[in-house]
Amino acid sequence: MASYRSIRDLDWTLIIIVLIICSLGVLEIYSATLNTDYKSAWWKHVLFTAVGVGMMMVVAQIDYHSLLGRVPAMYTISIALLVVTFVVGPKLLGGRRWIPIAGMTIQVSEFVKIVLILLVARYLTELKSNGVEARDLLKLAVLMGIPFVLVNRQPDLGTSLTYLPIVGGCVFLAGLRWQHVVAVGLVALVLLPAAWFVLEPYQKARLTTFMDPDGDPKGRGYQVIQSKIAVGNGGIWGRGVTRGSQTQLRFLPVSLTDFLFAAFAEEHGFVGVVVALGLYFLLILQIIQTAQMAPDRAGLYVCMGVGSLLLFHVFVNVGMLVGRVPVVGIPLPLMSSGGSSLLSVFLMLGLVQSVRLRRFVN
Amino acid sequence: MEAYADHPARHRVRWLARFALLWAVGIGARLLFLQAFSHEEFRDLARQQQTKLRQLAAPRGSIFDRAGRILALSVPVETVIVNPLQLPDRPLAAQLLARTLEIDEAKLRDRLETYANARKGYMVVDKGVSVEKADRLRQLGVDWIGFESNGVRRYPDGALAAHVLGGVDHQARGNAGIERHFEDDLGGYPGYEWVVSDVQRRSFDSSIEKAPQAGRDVVLTIDRRIQYAADEAIREAVASSMADSGTAVALDPNTGEILALSNYPTYDPNEVPKSTADYVARKNLAATDPFEPGSIFKVFGLAAALETTDIRPDTVLHCGNGTINVGGHIIGEAHGGFAYLTVEEIIAKSSNVGAVKIALKTGDKNLHDYLLRFGFNQTTGVEMPSESQGLIFRLKRWQPGSIGSVAIGHEVLTTSLQLARGLAAIANNGFLIRPHLTRARPLGEVTLRNVVYQPEQNEQPRRILRPETAMTLRKVMESVVLTGTGKGIRLDGYSCGGKTGTAKLFDKTIGKYVSRYNASFMGFAPVTNPAVVVVVTLNGTRQYGATAAGPAFKQITQTALRVLNVPQDLTDPAPAAEPVPERIVADVAVTSTPLKTPEAMQQEMEAEQGPATAIAVGPKLPNFVGKTARAVLDEAMQAGIRVDIEGSGIARVQDPPAGGRLASGQHVKVRFQP
Repeated sequence: MASYRSIRDLDWTLIIIVLIICSLGVLEIYSATLNTDYKSAWWKHVLFTAVGVGMMMVVAQIDYHSLLGRVPAMYTISIALLVVTFVVGPKLLGGRRWIPIAGMTIQVSEFVKIVLILLVARYLTELKSNGVEARDLLKLAVLMGIPFVLVNRQPDLGTSLTYLPIVGGCVFLAGLRWQHVVAVGLVALVLLPAAWFVLEPYQKARLTTFMDPDGDPKGRGYQVIQSKIAVGNGGIWGRGVTRGSQTQLRFLPVSLTDFLFAAFAEEHGFVGVVVALGLYFLLILQIIQTAQMAPDRAGLYVCMGVGSLLLFHVFVNVGMLVGRVPVVGIPLPLMSSGGSSLLSVFLMLGLVQSVRLRRFVN
Repeated sequence: MEAYADHPARHRVRWLARFALLWAVGIGARLLFLQAFSHEEFRDLARQQQTKLRQLAAPRGSIFDRAGRILALSVPVETVIVNPLQLPDRPLAAQLLARTLEIDEAKLRDRLETYANARKGYMVVDKGVSVEKADRLRQLGVDWIGFESNGVRRYPDGALAAHVLGGVDHQARGNAGIERHFEDDLGGYPGYEWVVSDVQRRSFDSSIEKAPQAGRDVVLTIDRRIQYAADEAIREAVASSMADSGTAVALDPNTGEILALSNYPTYDPNEVPKSTADYVARKNLAATDPFEPGSIFKVFGLAAALETTDIRPDTVLHCGNGTINVGGHIIGEAHGGFAYLTVEEIIAKSSNVGAVKIALKTGDKNLHDYLLRFGFNQTTGVEMPSESQGLIFRLKRWQPGSIGSVAIGHEVLTTSLQLARGLAAIANNGFLIRPHLTRARPLGEVTLRNVVYQPEQNEQPRRILRPETAMTLRKVMESVVLTGTGKGIRLDGYSCGGKTGTAKLFDKTIGKYVSRYNASFMGFAPVTNPAVVVVVTLNGTRQYGATAAGPAFKQITQTALRVLNVPQDLTDPAPAAEPVPERIVADVAVTSTPLKTPEAMQQEMEAEQGPATAIAVGPKLPNFVGKTARAVLDEAMQAGIRVDIEGSGIARVQDPPAGGRLASGQHVKVRFQP
C-alpha cells in the first residue's frame, strides 16, 4: 500500500475556503468586541485557526482506518472525560461544560463529536447487508445516547443535539429503510412528551419562544428579537465594519459566539451574508465531493458524518438568528469565537483530508 | 474491496447536497425578507431602542427692576445620575456620592441596591446640585456618574416684590405674577437631542435635534427701593392697625408705570408653599381682590359732578343734619351731622350726606357714565394673571337707593389697582393711563438685550376729564390733608393731596356690616404736578383710613419722591405730627343695611364675568396621537405649541386632547410608547 501522498494532494480548495471563513470570523469578532472587555478575542481566534490548520495537517497524515480501529478505546475515554467534566468542571454560565487544564478550559463535548463520527463510520462499515436493521438502529441509539444524555445534563442542549445529525446522516446513507423512518418517527412522537419532562424549564422555553418572541420581549424572546433587528438593520449592503449599532451598543447578546453571525449580518448586510453562506455551501459540497471519491464506505461515512454535522451547525445557527429555529446555543463553525469548537472542526476536516489523501485505490 | 459501488450510500450522498441546497434557498429567502424587504422596519426598531429623545432645558430669562437691578434669575444646577448596574462597588460609590453631595449615605446605599436588584440602569442620585459640587464629582473621573444640567430659580431679595414677580413651580414654570404672565417669553423654548445609548443606557453620542432657545429678560417698571419702602410700610401698617391684610400700589400717573406693588401677607418665592396660609399669602390682593372702597370713592363722584353740573368747590349744600333718605334707604354720617357745608368741606370732612347730595344733583346716569370713564368695571390690563375687573352695576339694575350707596363707595367693587388708575387721571390732568409693569429698557447706562416688552396699548391716553376739573379735584383733595379727615398726613418738602376712606366690612355670618373696616388712603404728590400716585388699603382693621393707611402712604410717597428726584415744592418740613381728634378722622361710610351685600356682588360679578381664572388661548391643538416624536416636534414648532415629551416611540396619549386649546404658559403633554 505504498500510495504516493504529498502535501500537494491535500484539498487546497477546502483549505482556502476554510481560511476565508476564519478570516471573516476574525474580522467580525474584532468588530463586535471593539468596545468591550473581550478586545483580545480576535487574536485568540487567529491563534486557534493557526493551531487548527496545523492539527488538520497532522490528522490528514494519519490513516483513518487506524483511527477506526481505536474507536472502542476513544469512546470509553470520551465517556470517562464527560463524567470527569461533571465532577471537576467549574460551574460557568449556569453549567459544567469545561475541564480546566493548564490554564485553559476544554469543552470535551466538542471533541466527542469526532469520536462519534468514527464510531458511526466503523459500525456502519461492519454491517454485512446493504441496509440497516432495526437492531442496528437500536444499538447505535444506545451508543450515541450515552454521551447525548451526559452532555444534555451538563446542561448543554445545543451540543448534545449536534450528535443527532452525525448518526442520522450516516444511517440514512447506509440504507435506512423508509419503514424504519416511519417507526423512528412514531417512537419520537411517543417519546417527545416524555422528553418534555426530562428537559430543564429553560430548555423548554428555548424550544418554544422562537415562534413567539414578542410574548416575552424582555426575557426569553429578547435574544431572538434583538438578533432579528440586527439582521434586518443590516439591509442589503450592511452598516460597515464596527458600525453596526445593534452590535456596538451591545443590544445583541453573546455577539461573539452564538450570535456572531447576526453581528456579521448587521455590519455586512445581505451581500456579506450571501458570500459567507456561499462559502459554507462550497465547503459542504467539497466535503461531499471527497465523500464520493472515498476509497471505501468507511471513508464515505467519515466525510458525510463531518458534512452532516457542519450542515446542521450552519442550519441551526443561522436559522436561530433569523427566528426560524429555537435558540439552542449552537455556534457557527469556524466563525464563532471558542477554541474547543474551532479545533474540533479542524480535526474533523483533518479526517476529511485523510480520506481524500487515500482516494487512489490501488 | 467490498461491494461498494452499488451500495445505497453512493446514491444517497447526493440527497445531502440537495438537502443543503433546499435549506440555502429557504434561509436565503428569509434573509432577503429581513434584510431587503423589511430593512426599514428593523432599522427603525433598532433606532428606536438605541436613541432616545431628551429635552434640553432652555435657560430662563431674568427679571430686572427699572434700574436694571436683578430681581429674579436662574442659577444653573445639575442632576446627578448613576447607573447602578455599572457600579464597581456600590457601598463605596454610596459613600463617595453621599459625602460630596451631603446626603444620607445609608439611604443612598439602599436605593442603589434596590435599583440594581430591579436591573434598572438609571437612577437620579440628587437634584439641584450646585455646579461646584458637580465639578468635584466630575474631577473623580469615573464613568459611572452622569450629569444633567438644568436651572433653579432664585429671588435674591426674598419676599421683595413677591406678588409682582410671582413664582415658579417645581418644573420651573411661572405660576403667578410676571413669571406666569410672561411664561412663554421667560421660559424660552426647550431644545431636544437624540441620545444614542447602549443596552445599559450609557450614553455614547448625541445629536441636537433642536437647540434650546433661551428665555428673554423682563425689565420691570418697579423700583427696588420704592418697592422695599412699600413692602416695609405695608407690613408695619398691617401690624400697627391690626389688620388682616394690606396692599399698596404706587404708580407714575403720567406714564402708568407701576413703581411698587405690595401686599401683606406676603411670601418668599424661593420657598415652596407648604400650608394653606402659604397659599393665601400668595394671593395678589392689589390686582385680584376687589372690595367696597368706601369714602375714597367720593372723589370720583365729585369729578362727575364738576364735569356735568354747576357744582363748584365753593357751592354750599345742606347736609341734612346727619341723615338722608335715598329711595327709602337711610344714609348717615360717621359722627353727628352737618348743616351747611361747601362742596370742598364735604370732601374734606367726608360727609356722607353731602356726597349723596352731590350725586343726586349729578344724576345716576352721569355718575355711572363717569365711573366707567375712570376705568372701573374694566381690567387695567396690567401684566399679571387673574386680574379682577371689579364691579359697577349696569344702570338699569340700579335700585332707587343705589345712587346713594354708590356715592359713598358701596354697591361697587374696585381693586387697589383700579383706584390708582382712577386717581392717576386726576393727577395727570385728565388722562386714563394703563398701569403697567414692564419697560422696553432699564434706566441709565445698563443695556440688556433680548428684553420682553409689551408695547403700550394707549400711547395716546384717552382724555376722560377736562384739565381744570382735575386741577380743581386736586385742590379739594389737598384740603383733606390740610384740614380734613387726612389732617396730619403731610410730607417733608412736598405738597400732597388725597382722600381717606373707611368702609365697614360685611360679615356674612350675621348678615350685617360690622365695625371692622377696609381703611384706605389714596393720594398724590406734589399737588401741582403730581409725580406719584399711591393707594394704600388695610383690610380688617378697626382704625379709620387716615390712622391706618396714612403713615404707610407718607412713607411710600416720601421714598418715591426722593428716588424719582422730584423737585421739592415746599420749603418747610412737615409739621410735627400731632394727635388728630377722632371726630375729625372719622369718615366711615354708613349705610344701615346693604342693598346688595358684597358677597352677592361677588357672585354676580363672577356670574357676569366668569371666575378669574386663566383663559385658554393659542392655536387649536392638532392630533399628535399615532405620530413619531420627530413629527410631533416639527408640527408643534410650526404651530408655536410647547410640548412635553415622555417616553419614546409612537405618541399614544396627549393632554389636553386634540382640538383643545392651551392656556398661556401651558404645555401639551404627549406620552410615547413603542
